[in-house]
Amino acid sequence: MTSTVDPISLPQRAASNDTEIDREALASLLVEIARSVDPDYRARLDGVPTADPRMETLRQLLVGREISELSRVTHLLDEPEQLAAAVGDVLPSAAARASHAQLGEALAPAVERAVQRSIQKSPRTLTDILYPVFLPAIRKSIGEKIDQTFQSLNETLRHIFTWHGLKWRFEAWRTGASFSEVVLKHSLVYRVEHVFLINRNSGLLIAHVTADNATSEDPQLISSMLSAIQDFVKDSFNEKEQSGLDTIRFGELRLWSEVGPFATLVAVIRGNPPEELHEIVRDVLLRIHDECSQALEQFDGDSSQLAGVETQLQTCVELKQEESNQGFPWLVVAAVLLVLIPAGGWFFLSWQSGQRWQAYVSRLGTQPGIIVAEQKMRDGQFYIAGLRDPLAADPQSLLSGTQVDPARVHSHWQFYQSLEPEFVLKRLTASLAPPDSVRLSIVNDRIVAEGEAPDTWIDRARAAARQLSAGGPVFDISKVRDVSPETRAAEHWQAYVSRLETQPGIIVAEQKMRDGQFYIAGLRDPLAADPQALLSGTGVDPARVHSQWQFYQSLDPKFVLKRLMASLTPPKSVRLSIVEDRIVAEGEAPDTWIDRARAAARQLSAGGPEFDISKVRDVSPEARAAEHWQAYVSRLETQPGIIVAQQRARGGHFYISGLRDPQATDPQALLSGTGVDPARVHSQWRFYQSLDPKFVLKRLMASLTPPKSVRLSIVEDRIVAEGEAPDTWIDRARAAARQLSAGGPVFDISKVRDVSPEARAAEHWQTYVSRLEAQPGIIVAQQRARGGHFYISGLRDPQAADPQALLSGTGVDPARVHSQWQFYQSLDPKFVVKRLMASLAPPDSVRFSIMKDRIVVVGEAPAAWIDRARVAAQQLAADGLSLEISELRELTPQELTRLREAIQAVDIFFDSGKAVPGPEQLPVLDKLANQLKGLAKDARKAGVTAQFMLTGHSDAVGRETTNASISAARAETVRALLKKRGVAPESLLVRGAGTFEPAETENSRAGSSANRRVSVTVNFH
Amino acid sequence: MQKKICMLGGFAVGKTSLVRRFVQSIFSETYLTTVGVKIDKKSVVFPDKTVDLILWDLAGEDDIGSFRVSYVRGASGLVLVVDGTRAATLAVALTLRERVEAEFGAMPFVLLFNKSDLADRWAISDNEINELKQIGWQIYLTSAFSGEHVDDAFRQLASMVAK
Repeated sequence: MTSTVDPISLPQRAASNDTEIDREALASLLVEIARSVDPDYRARLDGVPTADPRMETLRQLLVGREISELSRVTHLLDEPEQLAAAVGDVLPSAAARASHAQLGEALAPAVERAVQRSIQKSPRTLTDILYPVFLPAIRKSIGEKIDQTFQSLNETLRHIFTWHGLKWRFEAWRTGASFSEVVLKHSLVYRVEHVFLINRNSGLLIAHVTADNATSEDPQLISSMLSAIQDFVKDSFNEKEQSGLDTIRFGELRLWSEVGPFATLVAVIRGNPPEELHEIVRDVLLRIHDECSQALEQFDGDSSQLAGVETQLQTCVELKQEESNQGFPWLVVAAVLLVLIPAGGWFFLSWQSGQRWQAYVSRLGTQPGIIVAEQKMRDGQFYIAGLRDPLAADPQSLLSGTQVDPARVHSHWQFYQSLEPEFVLKRLTASLAPPDSVRLSIVNDRIVAEGEAPDTWIDRARAAARQLSAGGPVFDISKVRDVSPETRAAEHWQAYVSRLETQPGIIVAEQKMRDGQFYIAGLRDPLAADPQALLSGTGVDPARVHSQWQFYQSLDPKFVLKRLMASLTPPKSVRLSIVEDRIVAEGEAPDTWIDRARAAARQLSAGGPEFDISKVRDVSPEARAAEHWQAYVSRLETQPGIIVAQQRARGGHFYISGLRDPQATDPQALLSGTGVDPARVHSQWRFYQSLDPKFVLKRLMASLTPPKSVRLSIVEDRIVAEGEAPDTWIDRARAAARQLSAGGPVFDISKVRDVSPEARAAEHWQTYVSRLEAQPGIIVAQQRARGGHFYISGLRDPQAADPQALLSGTGVDPARVHSQWQFYQSLDPKFVVKRLMASLAPPDSVRFSIMKDRIVVVGEAPAAWIDRARVAAQQLAADGLSLEISELRELTPQELTRLREAIQAVDIFFDSGKAVPGPEQLPVLDKLANQLKGLAKDARKAGVTAQFMLTGHSDAVGRETTNASISAARAETVRALLKKRGVAPESLLVRGAGTFEPAETENSRAGSSANRRVSVTVNFH
Repeated sequence: MQKKICMLGGFAVGKTSLVRRFVQSIFSETYLTTVGVKIDKKSVVFPDKTVDLILWDLAGEDDIGSFRVSYVRGASGLVLVVDGTRAATLAVALTLRERVEAEFGAMPFVLLFNKSDLADRWAISDNEINELKQIGWQIYLTSAFSGEHVDDAFRQLASMVAK
């Protein structure tokens, strides 16, 4: 067997994987088969069976396991339950590996059916699942709807009562849209200026479209910033919602963003957009997502895939609503044409009649006394208006013969007075009615009167001429002769005489005229009118009148009545009148008057008219009571401090009300002796404060309680206080005077002398003394005030406040204070510390503090100082005070002190105006840095920290502020340079001292170079 | 082509200064303190294309906890900035990168050691830098002061993100 493959080794190699094949049985079987293949061997065998059982054994050996495996799988496929279990195991990972598109398509119908089924079965489950998804969307949609409603309501209200409001109402009716829609359409003026489409994930700009004329900065940056701001808001307020910022508003500009799954669309709108715009913008975003969903999802900054998007965005940018007029009004034009065509035919006819009308109008215009103001033709009717003189021709009658239909003429004439001479003449003739002796005529447009006339007519004519003079023709009356003086005098006299004759109580016996003189004689009652007085106004010259009158008593009832009125003086309640020649008295009167009237009646009875007093009622008891009441009331009214507001008597009772000052007399008490029955008096008094000086005085006495040395009195309505009083009282009086000043009488306290200065000074002194007594370190032994001077003596610690200085502000006059102070040492710890500070001069690193009665010293000090402090403590102990120095630490070993002194001697110098040292200073700096580092190291070893204060200085040249800043800059520079040289920066402090700490005083103008430096001080902590 | 790039780094490492001189900007630096982010643009021109790097300059915080990771969403690359004079800022930058990577997965970045002009205060050893270079990081010693290597860094990053 020389095969390339060792047959034995094959199964062996396989055995490492599979041990189930029986290798020994296989080998012997193969050997046996090999033998039987040998023809010799085979020939020796008899009856070899056709079916060799060894082949079956071989088969079993080789593929027995596969057969059983196969049968297991077959079994698995045949048993549905087992198959389901097996597929279930691998289904999730199979689905994950499947091609998404195919799987989706395959599953879609099943999933749809499943969802359908689930909803049919229990809609609740799906609702619960979808609830968090739908809720924000629903909420947002409702929010927008409400905004929309509000916006339309707002706009509707705003325009409801305006002119275009009415116009829009008409438009709404015409177009069938709702009124609010029309209002929104007109009032929401806006323009979408930019639209950005922004990748939601990265904030990168996908596309940007701009309206004409709109500008913006780099859109790429803007879109990123917009999404950054969205993130910012979301992060800052922990907003979990997916929607993002809805609206950003800045004045006229609004940014509206709509968020989609992969991209956000931001519209920049100028103006006042309607809420519906949201929907439009959202639709555009949805369309973009529909069309390019995949490109959007995979967007990685390369927008070439999304070129088509811009056309979509363009539709957004074109959105705008501008204030503009509607298009050309075709409807109106058609309507106008429809009207115009028949109007054309009609027009000719009316033109013809218009011609006739014009002829009539011009005829009227030529008529004197007629002025045509306005005339027009409309719809075949004629209208005319103007002025006509009543004396002019009648326009109506002029119509006849003009072919104008009078029924179509509507005229409106106002009368006026024409100033044409003919009309004026007519009017004058009518109004002046000139006597026959006068003739009026027109001469060259002037009206001329000629002839003779009485002066009265001439006067009237003259008045008429005056009236005419304004604008009218001249009326010349100079040619009319006056013919009247004598006649007139006679006329006047006759008028006078007849006037006299009608006078009651005057009887004219005789009268005549002769040679311009007038004579008259007769009787007259003394009560009748004076004939002489009647002359006035009659035009009769009194000097030419000669009269002779005899007195008589007229028994004419009228004169009798007059005489009775004069003699009886009836009260107002009585009325006298004449009734059928009898004199009748009626009314009410007291009995005394009735008695007098009765006596007069008796006298008259002989020959005169009857005087009837039977109708006068005797009213005296009530009248008397009323009189008494009036007397009482007037008494009250004269009372100071009482004001009667109202009073009346009714039914025998008396009512009175008013104001009274509490200090005034009691009205009730005043009743006594007036005869008024107190039981019938009903009074109502309200108290008030009278400003009558008397009352004010009373009140002041009560409120101010002036001391006996003060006297108050009233001088000419002013209240005057005189005398002496302490200032406190004067202050109160002054306050009272101020209160009074409004409306009350003057309260003059200028005459009250202030007697208090001494008392006040004493008070101030006491204040000062108690102030001194409260001072630590001051002991007042004795003090007194005498004769306006103050004496004080006592002890004071030198460290205590200066008593003299304490005087200021106390009001005590230092010149009057005589003090005697002896120094002493106070053992008050505060003073002890002060003294110690002065005597021991402790270093800065030492702090004194007072703890109850002990003085504690803490800090660090040189050993010598500590020794001195110890001595002081021993001395103090003798005085019973304890000074604790146990907490003091000994400071600074010798070596450190020496190093410090070496360092502090070093200065870095600068050139004028320079903050950086010159190169020659660099070695100094190097050395200084080494010194500082060395000292810091040594100090650390000694347990202290060294700190270096770098103080910059400047010379005195230039401005102070410049110097201060350059000094600080120098210190800073040195600090930086030292830092660079390895000095620990935290140990370096800097300050600028300007010119305030010069190394030497400066005289030269150039400034001292020694002062331009940085010095170093070392402190240990 | 545009790419969102985030500038990350500790407080006062000079991110804003790097950006100020070498990029195009329309927003003022107050945005950094108010919104916490400022956006600038750096255009890098290659022979075959132009890459617009949209740089998100995030307000630097020493407190890494208050760093707003959400700003990095959608970024294609990072600029990590370290102050070469303060060794601690390297750790800050690395931590920031780890946080971003944990949140959004690995992305290309360049690491800038800034303030290279302050050689005397340099606090990062060459060894450290070499080690980082060994792992294949793109490292630049930059100076906002002199402008050294700043453009190179942006150009490198642009070529990395535009692949």
